[in-house]
Amino acid sequence: MPGILEVRHLCKTYESAGRALTVLHGIDFSLRSGDSCAIVGPSGSGKTTLLGLCAGLDNATSGSISLDGRLLENLDEDGRASLRNRLAGFVFQSFQLIPTLTAIENVLVPLELRGQRGGEPEAARLLVQVGLADRLHHYPLQLSGGEQQRVALARAFINRPKILFADEPTGNLDAETSAPIVEMLFGLNREAGTALVLVTHDPTLARRARRIVTMRGGSIVGEQENAAL
Amino acid sequence: MPLSDQPGGIWTALVDAWTWRMAWRDSRTERYRLAIFSLAIIAGVAALVSIHSLKASLKRGIATQAKALLGADLQITSHRPFAADEIADLSARGRRIAQEVSFSSMLYFPDSDAARLVQVRGIEGDFPFYGAVRTTPPEAWGRLHSEPGIVLERATMEQYKAKEGQRVKLGALELPILGAIDKPPPRGNRFGGFAPEAYVRLSDLDRTGLLAQTSLASFHIELELRGGADAQAIKREIADAYPDAGWRMETPEDRRETLGNALDNFEQFLGIVAIAALVLGAIGVAGAVHAHVSRRVPAIAILRCLGCSADRAFAIYLVQTIAIAAPGAAAGCAFGMGLHALVIALFRESLPVAIDARPEWIAAGETTFSGFAVCCCFAVLPLLRIRRISPSSTLRDGAAPADSSSSWRTWPVYLVLAALLVALALLGDPHWKRALSLVAGLGAAFAILAGLARGLVFLARRAVRPRWPYLLRQGISNIHRPRNQTLLFLLSLGLGAFLLCTILLSKNLVSRRIDLPQFAESPNLYLIDVQPDQVEGVSAIVKSQRLEVIENAPLVAMRIRSVRGVPVRELEKRGSIPKWVLQREFRSSYRDRLNATEKLVAGNWFDPGFTLGAPTPLSLEEEIAKDLHVGVGDELTLDVQGVPIKARIASLRKVDWSRFNLNFFMIFPPGALDRAPGFHVLTTRLPAGRSSGELQRALVQAFPNVSAIDLTLVLETVRGILEKVERVLSVLAGFTVLAAIPILAGALLNGRDQRIVEGVLLRTLGASASQVRAILTIEYATLGALSATAGLLLAAAANYALAIFVFKVDPTLDARVLAGGFAITTGLAVAGGLFLSRGISSHPPLAILRGAG
Repeated sequence: MPGILEVRHLCKTYESAGRALTVLHGIDFSLRSGDSCAIVGPSGSGKTTLLGLCAGLDNATSGSISLDGRLLENLDEDGRASLRNRLAGFVFQSFQLIPTLTAIENVLVPLELRGQRGGEPEAARLLVQVGLADRLHHYPLQLSGGEQQRVALARAFINRPKILFADEPTGNLDAETSAPIVEMLFGLNREAGTALVLVTHDPTLARRARRIVTMRGGSIVGEQENAAL
Repeated sequence: MPLSDQPGGIWTALVDAWTWRMAWRDSRTERYRLAIFSLAIIAGVAALVSIHSLKASLKRGIATQAKALLGADLQITSHRPFAADEIADLSARGRRIAQEVSFSSMLYFPDSDAARLVQVRGIEGDFPFYGAVRTTPPEAWGRLHSEPGIVLERATMEQYKAKEGQRVKLGALELPILGAIDKPPPRGNRFGGFAPEAYVRLSDLDRTGLLAQTSLASFHIELELRGGADAQAIKREIADAYPDAGWRMETPEDRRETLGNALDNFEQFLGIVAIAALVLGAIGVAGAVHAHVSRRVPAIAILRCLGCSADRAFAIYLVQTIAIAAPGAAAGCAFGMGLHALVIALFRESLPVAIDARPEWIAAGETTFSGFAVCCCFAVLPLLRIRRISPSSTLRDGAAPADSSSSWRTWPVYLVLAALLVALALLGDPHWKRALSLVAGLGAAFAILAGLARGLVFLARRAVRPRWPYLLRQGISNIHRPRNQTLLFLLSLGLGAFLLCTILLSKNLVSRRIDLPQFAESPNLYLIDVQPDQVEGVSAIVKSQRLEVIENAPLVAMRIRSVRGVPVRELEKRGSIPKWVLQREFRSSYRDRLNATEKLVAGNWFDPGFTLGAPTPLSLEEEIAKDLHVGVGDELTLDVQGVPIKARIASLRKVDWSRFNLNFFMIFPPGALDRAPGFHVLTTRLPAGRSSGELQRALVQAFPNVSAIDLTLVLETVRGILEKVERVLSVLAGFTVLAAIPILAGALLNGRDQRIVEGVLLRTLGASASQVRAILTIEYATLGALSATAGLLLAAAANYALAIFVFKVDPTLDARVLAGGFAITTGLAVAGGLFLSRGISSHPPLAILRGAG
């Protein structure tokens, strides 16, 4: 299968209090279409930074990232935004719903941003699929944490992404609420043939991915494949 | 193709329906905050519209009433009687002619045994030709033309409880009162005198015997020209026919110009108030938008993450701004037009021309649009931050605010803003230099406050000591913590305090000029028009009243004929010397010493051994010397009642005009003008509480031509006028206060959420509500006090500059304004801050902490 994500010699350095702080050192990493990969490691190991760079949410200091054949370093911020809109879906630890929009309006945003109209039936279908049939017109503040994350999942899949980036998707949820979310995440991932990049501290969740990449101190220190998958 | 890939995205995004839909949706939970933004625009535009409408009404009033304001097509004024052949010639140039003689004299009320200085106006003919005179009873004016009598101002009649038919004495003549004047005929003098007017027939004036004795009379001829005649052309013809007559001629066009000039300072002040109010409102707008954008950073980061371009994200909030600013500006326009009508209704009597409260659509339209544009520009500055919000903020809890470093995109906005403000300043005052200075001053204040804010953050970081009590330490530390709003707070409140206090201090500068206490040692009663042969008699009467004759100055009227050999006409053409200096009549004196209110700044005082001869030595006041571009040794040719006199400047004097001593632009040595026709002015000082009535009665019996001017009455009149003007100015300054309220709200809203979250966190950790309030009080009090200090220091500097360069007075500060400004600014910052942070004790911590997550 062709590679959806190619990362070469990736470095990221921040300037902090007049000192350079390197948080990623020479990362090489790739992911095929439809594949799933969990990035694990202790806090501060650079997992979220790597995810953000792969999704084009930030600029790398050096190195190269190719997303579906497009080199991110050749794109400006608006170019990367356009690419994200067409290719990527996101699920965040803190849900990141827009508080002024209802559940269905939140789900529709990626379609509306590309100028696509008439997406309401599909948004409603996805919300029904994640179990929120009676919450379509509720605002985020009127939903529980688990319900908010389900809205985020529906939003992540509305634009039929080629790749889904999930940053601690169950980090803010208890085990009971997490379980259906994880099922939905992987279920939708399978159904849509979407590649999945998952950052997590949860070993159980990580084991659901086909590959597990372990990071420490800004470098990849281990990689294993889940033979069972 | 996805829209976010399209080039030129901002314009495309602005016309896309989704942008507008998203702007509407995004405002759902923010509408009451956006109302603050709207209020700021309403206040700023309302002030601008009302002030510029008032100016437009005044201009329109002057333009439409110019003929009625003059009452004739041409008015000729002379300080000597017109000769019969001159009258015949002038009469032949028009369709109708009227004559008037006016001078000050004492009017005696026998029934109440009281005398009053009045401005006597003896009129002959059908003057005014334009506009009507109204009296009570209505026939009084008509009777005045056909029978002996006098018409007085209503206030004069009320003061002496005089009734129609009662007799009064003017000089040697007793006349019955025919009625009270309600709407007087236009005045020949540019400005009304301090004395009330009394109208008589010109033929009766001759019988009073006053005309033969007075030297201060003005003689006027008013002409109604034939249809289609060009008043300016006839004015030029008369000037050519009588080149040496020294007549002053005025047409309706000239009067329009004169009135316009007289209103110049008033308009300038109005222009400054208008811009100050608008800038205050616009700062409120910027503060409210900044607060709004800060709250929307997470939502914007999510949108960016989901593929929204920077242009489109910017467009969403620009649309919100426009959608709120446009109705806000329209409401401000309506409010401003209402205020305009209200000001005219309330202060109609205080305005120099009669104006109706008709809406000034063009002025309102222009200023509404300009105000809207300025407010939008101010709003765009914080909106530009949106473009720099990174989508990576979504990955970290409590999305980081945008990088606040300056961007090249802000400079065009600043330039457009400066251009708009200059254009607005030019609407208020058409002088480029002054308009640029005003905007540059505002810019400098802005830069200084920004610098102070940065300095404060730096100091706060270094000043906090571990041994300080926790509450104090926390309160001060809040000033330099990440995401602090110190810069915006200081800019908003500091600029507000600066502009408001500058306006109040300027008002005080003008008021201080007429403060009574400083005249405690000065003369307070002037006896004018004392003929040379009456000086002894008048002095005797003054002394018989146990009063001292403080000064006795002879007065001789003269005009400038040439300066350093260059004739006045030539100098007028060159335009390097102000016209009023070249055309004015100087009342000069002669004496052998300086008085207490003047000092020599160049040259030497007259040599005691001076002998008469040409050129005559002359001591000139230094400011008039500057206007004439002359110095010690230069020569002037003066026209003394038709006789040319050569004078050489022997010295320059600095004169304190604010004291009511007898001071003059030109002083000659004794003997130099002995033979020139003139009169004397004597001054005396009445002890506190003593009335001048007794002295005035004695004088009017013995010397009816001598007029007594009681300074305390004059000052009361001045004070009355100034009170009226001050009331108008206070209402207008009130607009700026109105515009300042949203600033406070905008400044306080910034960082409010952050403070609430921190406060709730402290409460969760065991802090009491009072401890949290103490920390907030320390923070707001520090910020308020520093904003006030910075604003007041700037206001003091502006006051200093205005005193020296505009009002030409010694710069002093009104400590009450400064102390009040400090207390109010600091108090409002603390009270407003605590009010807006009240959520800390009324909300359950959990709800806020969840929201913060």
